[in-house]
Amino acid sequence: MSKVTKGWDDEEVLAALQQALRAQRAVPPEFIEAGKNAFAWHNIDAELAQLTYDSTLDSGLELSLRAEAASIRALTFTSAHLTIELEVAQESLLGQVIPAQPATIKIQPREDAETSLATDEIGCFSIQPIPAGQFRIHCHTAAGVDALTGWIAL
Amino acid sequence: MRDDPSVIALVARVGDGDQEAWDELVERYAPLVWSICVRYGLSRQDIDDVGQSVWLLLVEQIGKLREPAALPGWLVTTTRRECLRVLRAGRRYDHEGLPPDDQLPPDPSATMIEQEVIVAERNAALRAAFAELPQPCRELLSMLMSDPSPAYAEISARLGMAVGSIGPTRARCLERLRRSPHLAAVIGDQTGEDDIEVKEPRGEQGD
Repeated sequence: MSKVTKGWDDEEVLAALQQALRAQRAVPPEFIEAGKNAFAWHNIDAELAQLTYDSTLDSGLELSLRAEAASIRALTFTSAHLTIELEVAQESLLGQVIPAQPATIKIQPREDAETSLATDEIGCFSIQPIPAGQFRIHCHTAAGVDALTGWIAL
Repeated sequence: MRDDPSVIALVARVGDGDQEAWDELVERYAPLVWSICVRYGLSRQDIDDVGQSVWLLLVEQIGKLREPAALPGWLVTTTRRECLRVLRAGRRYDHEGLPPDDQLPPDPSATMIEQEVIVAERNAALRAAFAELPQPCRELLSMLMSDPSPAYAEISARLGMAVGSIGPTRARCLERLRRSPHLAAVIGDQTGEDDIEVKEPRGEQGD
């Protein structure tokens, strides 16, 4: 442990303060704002489904498959008990809940009212049209598991 | 590390659903989360993704934190894990033929995490102490810290302060900063160090 505080002389205090303020200035205000907004979730009783795969971030895939597959965007969201796979097709957003099971899917646009649909027996669903702007997906399985994705923008 | 009473109070208020306390907590620790992401070399988009996950996980789990004072350590560990997650999310197909783990920065030791927490807490305490200084003190210190630091003559002209009183005022302001209750927890960290090591022997750190 470094001796940072005991017997700080003026120069040391000033240098430490400078470093502390610099670390704060480095953070963009929008990053802090997004953090504050996260509190809206505190009374939502659902697991967070995190983005664990995004094909647009997979440069290796793009290089190897070129044009024929590069236009298909695939996303995977994972929570403790569920995985939600999404694939952007031409006019709809196709999805599946894994493990395969029936569920209710709610699409919650940031700026609009939510819509709801039921998956088929094996958890497949299709959202039409593809949501414009930011939205998130709330999945409620027949077994009673709730999962909510982070904000998605396609 | 001695518990910072202000963090404990904040965590308790957040547990009661207090948005203002949450905002304060985010302001306090955003620089820590940000700096870890930057060190992992993440893009801005990935940093936003990590940030979103870390704060959402914190919202979800803050009620379950056994020790509110353990929050900064939790943040370091969680942010690191999230950085690794977004790095892996972009590498499901790895055409280099290398296991993704080999391309990732090595796991920091428990000591490094501890050090990161200490610096973050010290920075947060300094910022909180600075924010509570009287306005003239903040102005003077800000000028003294600007780069390049201006000559005393310029400071004198801008702040309407006699050149001869800049030195003594600077000393008074810094003394005031040092005596801030916010810094007491950080300073206590040093004086109580030996006691803490006796109470919590090493050996539980997994590395």
